[in-house]
Amino acid sequence: MKIHYGTALAAVALVAVHILMRLTQGFADSLEYENVLANYKFIPYAIMLELILILLAVHGFNGLRVILIELKQGPTYEKAVSYGCLAGMVGLIAYGSRTIIMTNMGMV
Amino acid sequence: MPQDERKEGIGGMANPSRYGIERVAYLLMRLSGLGLLAYFIAHIYETSNILRGQVGWNEFLELTQTTGGHIFLAIVIAMCVFHTVNGVRVMLGHGGVGVGKPARPDYPYDPASQNYRHKIGIYSAIILAAIATMYGLAVMFGE
Repeated sequence: MKIHYGTALAAVALVAVHILMRLTQGFADSLEYENVLANYKFIPYAIMLELILILLAVHGFNGLRVILIELKQGPTYEKAVSYGCLAGMVGLIAYGSRTIIMTNMGMV
Repeated sequence: MPQDERKEGIGGMANPSRYGIERVAYLLMRLSGLGLLAYFIAHIYETSNILRGQVGWNEFLELTQTTGGHIFLAIVIAMCVFHTVNGVRVMLGHGGVGVGKPARPDYPYDPASQNYRHKIGIYSAIILAAIATMYGLAVMFGE
């Protein structure tokens, strides 16, 4: 539960900053292509996006694992759920990191 | 009653009417968690469209910046705020905050941890989620 609570508290702080960035510029304007590109190219913001990605992926897939194990138990099932959630988490982090790194490096 | 008849499965677990607001909070916490995970995965896919250049980004934006898209986002805001506030309540309860002092269990054996402080926490989470949703709708439809 320490990982679940730790990732939750850290994610709340960082997601608040992420949402406030949308509101400071005006919601529709902040989603304009140039603005989004500028966000990704600003390294501190890109690092923050990467941290949010990791924190929420760990929190989300660990939460899914807890819910699935709550529904049904058994050594094989629990192992399958744990490894399945781990694979989903790694896959999502890899896919999201690809977007952040490629956009930050100007590979668009 | 035979054991088989007592097994209600997910239906029994999800029944919010039997165990009060705490069970409603338990159910909403799981539903909002699953909903937010689904949204997070969709959001990662959505933002990856920036790699398709300005045309690809604008094409995808046209799909999401609609009335339906804004209503969907308002539901996400509600789930997010409820999950956060109720999550903080659960964390505090887990840490022993607001659960009361240990006492001798007497009939009718009301759990000390399910007290008015935590009930207020649950209702606060629901009210804050509603306020944030209305604010989100005002921001999205106000432009």
